[in-house]
Formats: sequence, C-alpha cells, structure tokens
Amino acid sequence: MRNTWAVFRREFAAYFQTPIGYVICAVFAAISGMAFTLSLLNYARISQAPGMHGYPTVPDFEESFLSPWLVFCGSLIMFLAPLVTMRLFAEERHRGTIELLLTLPLRDREIIFGKYLASLGMLAVMLLVVAIDLTIVGWLAPVEPAVLLFGTITVFLMGASFFSVGMFISSTMRNQVTSGTITFGIFLVLFVSGAISEDLPAQYPAPEAWPQALKMAAAIIYGIVRNLMQEMAIDAHAEQMAQGVLQIRDIAYYVLFCAFFVFLTFRSLESRHWRG
Amino acid sequence: MIDVENLTKRYGSITAISGISFTVARGEVVGFLGPNGAGKSTTMRILTGFFPASSGTARIDGHEVHQHPIEVKRRVGYMPERVPLYDEMTVLGFLRFVAQVKGVGGGGRKEAIERAMEHCGLTDMRRRQIGNLSKGYRQRVGLAQALLGAPPVLILDEPTAGLDPKQIVEIRELISALRGEHTVLISTHILPEVAMVCDRAIIIHQGKVVAEDRIDRLTGGGGAESLEKVFIEVIARGTETPV
Repeated sequence: MRNTWAVFRREFAAYFQTPIGYVICAVFAAISGMAFTLSLLNYARISQAPGMHGYPTVPDFEESFLSPWLVFCGSLIMFLAPLVTMRLFAEERHRGTIELLLTLPLRDREIIFGKYLASLGMLAVMLLVVAIDLTIVGWLAPVEPAVLLFGTITVFLMGASFFSVGMFISSTMRNQVTSGTITFGIFLVLFVSGAISEDLPAQYPAPEAWPQALKMAAAIIYGIVRNLMQEMAIDAHAEQMAQGVLQIRDIAYYVLFCAFFVFLTFRSLESRHWRG
Repeated sequence: MIDVENLTKRYGSITAISGISFTVARGEVVGFLGPNGAGKSTTMRILTGFFPASSGTARIDGHEVHQHPIEVKRRVGYMPERVPLYDEMTVLGFLRFVAQVKGVGGGGRKEAIERAMEHCGLTDMRRRQIGNLSKGYRQRVGLAQALLGAPPVLILDEPTAGLDPKQIVEIRELISALRGEHTVLISTHILPEVAMVCDRAIIIHQGKVVAEDRIDRLTGGGGAESLEKVFIEVIARGTETPV
C-alpha cells in the first residue's frame, strides 16, 4: 500500500512536472467547454420554438442536452487517453528507468496499480473541468441529482476503460509514439465497429441455397461478431447511465473491461521472466 | 554474501554469459572486470533481479534472486550502467521516492536522505532538476539512491564511466569509504581503480570467468601496471583456448 502510494505520487507528479498534464487538461477544458456552450445554445434555440425543430413540446433538459454532452466528454477522453497513458511504461523503457523501477523492492502489483491510479488521477483532474460546467448548469436550471452523479461516474468509467487499454499497450512498447498511436488505433476500431454494428441486420441474411448446417453456423458466428462489435464500443454502455438510469450490467461492463486490461498489463510485465 | 553458481544467460542464439560461478564474502570490495561485452552488466542485472538467468542460481545473503526477488531487492543497492534517472524530478524528490520505496522509516527518512546527499556531495544540488545536472552529479545521484536504506550489498555498474579525473577520484574515495559496512561488487574497465579500491578481482571474458584472485596475488605485488598486464594476458589466453 505504502509503495503503491509512492509510485502513484511519483507518476502523478510527473504529469505536472512536464507540460503534458497541463496541455491535456487545457485541451480537454477547451473542447468540452466549446461543446458545452454550443449544445446549450442549441438547446435554448430548440426550447424557444420546439415546433420549428420537430419537437411537440420543450424537450427534456437532461435527456436532450446534459446526458449527450456527458457522453461526448467521455468520448473526448478517447482522443486524449493515448497521450495520458503512452508514457506509463514506454517512457520507463526508453529512458532505462525501468531497470531502476524493477530492481527497487517493488512488487509488480505496486508498480501497475500505482501507475494506473496516477492515470486515474489525471482523469479526476479532467473531471474537475466537467464539474465546473455541471455547477454552472446546476446554477442555471434545476437538474436531477441522479443525472449529475451518474453522469460524472459515466465519464469516469469511460475514461478508466480507455486508460486501462492505453496502459496495457504502453507496457508492451518501448516507444511512446508507437504506444500512443496503437492505443488510439484500437479505440478508433472499437468506436467505428460499434457504429457499424448498429446498422447490421439482426439476423445473418444467408442465401436460401445454403445447406441448413452452414446457415446455422453462419448465424452463430455472425451473432457473436455482431454482439462483440456492439459491446466492445466503449460508449455503448454509457448512454443510459448518463441519463441517471443506473444498471448493474453497465457498471459491471466497465469494471470488467478495466480489470481485463489491467490483468493483461500484469502478464505483459511478467513476460520479462520468460522472454529471452 | 553473493553466491553465483553456474549462471548462464542466453538472448536468443547469443550467449551472454555461460556457466559463471563466483562468491563474494561479507564486507569484501570486489572488482568485476572484463572487456566490453564480456557479460558484466548481464551478470549484475541477474543479481539485482532485473531479469532472470537462463540457468544456474544466484544467491544474495542466502536468498535465491529469482525465487525471492523482494527479499533480494531489499538487500541490494544497485547503480545501473549509464545511470537511468527520472529527469523531471528534483534530486530531493527522487531520493524521497527511493527512500519511501525502500521502506526507510518515517522518522529516520529525512536524516537518511540528508546523509546520502552529504555522502555523495549533493547537498547543494537538492533542489535542482535531475535532467539539468552534469554527468558527474547524475552519477552521484545514482550512487546516493543505491546507498539509501543502507543495503548490505552494493552492486555498482561502471560507477566512474565518463567522469573527469577529479570526479573519478571523488567517487573512488566514496567507494573506499563504504568498505567494511557494505559488500561491494563494482564493474569497471579502469584498472588502476580496481587496484586502489578492491580487495579482489574477478575477470570475465566472453561470458566466462578467466581469472579470480586477490589483487596482490594477481599482480604479484606489482600494483596497477602489472594488473593491466595480467588483464591483457588472461584475456588473450581466454580467447585462444575456449574452455
């Protein structure tokens, strides 16, 4: 515990001893702030004349403005996560400090959790920006507290998922740029395949001429692939939760997602014991 | 204190060290010599638990390095070659981190850090960023972090490489001052240094131990110059007749 804390402190401080932490927070604040202003103005325009925009009445504030904006913030982290996580292990390898780290009396779990918590610390700083915007909203209009609470949790869980992937990729790399690029590539593939999967038909449109067995096999494989594409998109479980609807399966999804990639990081760090 | 038995390390098809055995007794200062690429750093990295050996065993204070990594790492202060350090940290911040990880107790931590800085002549540099330090001072920071927590075993990989003559003398004096309290294994290819600070020398070449004895017996009492002769001789012999 003491050692995890020591690693956490060193890692977290490192973000702000170099410009990287400030740059990431500033970019996040700027873009999320712009999106906030634009969608708030848009909502104001719609609510003044709902009929002209195809709404029968004034649309629900949380549902049509606040929750989508929160999910947007979560997705924005997708673009910034590689910058936060690419250094975690790749930088240590590149500078050679990994030799120092691995010969100090530290256990793998202390190193990995310390580093992961430090990246989550960055996430918490980014969430402070979101919290400022939410405070302004709360001051402008009465908002359901559940939306505020679970909305913030949603952004956090999305970010934690992105960071867990990034940490794993960083643990396999020596070069930060490669680490960041591959991380971002993975996010993009997951994101795009999630978007495509929404347009896929529910059943595999197998040609009639196919034999029964082949049709069944194709249907099963198709079902698995389609489900995976739908589920692996990190924003897939965010929408409902951001509207204040708490479901165990959504939380479990994110927790398991993070746990899986943290587990892979353990294996990756352990590989030094058997790799030549 | 350090027991190495039949240690072998292969990287793919390349054999870095093959069947190295030696021991270092408690309180001894031993020079680990050999030409570039002889396997000095590889051996040291195995001893410090950075990576495992392909075969053979290494024990520090009776603990097998691969089976009890934490026990071993608690007993070893290690200064890696080329001294990798966290450039963005201050000297003090970095030493605080190392002290905390090494479990140097809350009350005594501050004093231990002060002592290590004083020992290595870093007191005036405490607030400086490590990235801005000169090579000599980086080397001292590397040594200071190895000394923190007063580990019984010190493994120093080329502690004087790339320093100017004055700095070399200072570091050498520092290492001499550690005699008695610590068991020290130093790798270097600066031979006069070995003759001055070490009790014993182990010479390895192409991954094998080619000579091992007390300095005075290796040189026949001839001092630094004859150590050079001995070094060249055993290496030439080692190349001609691979064991």
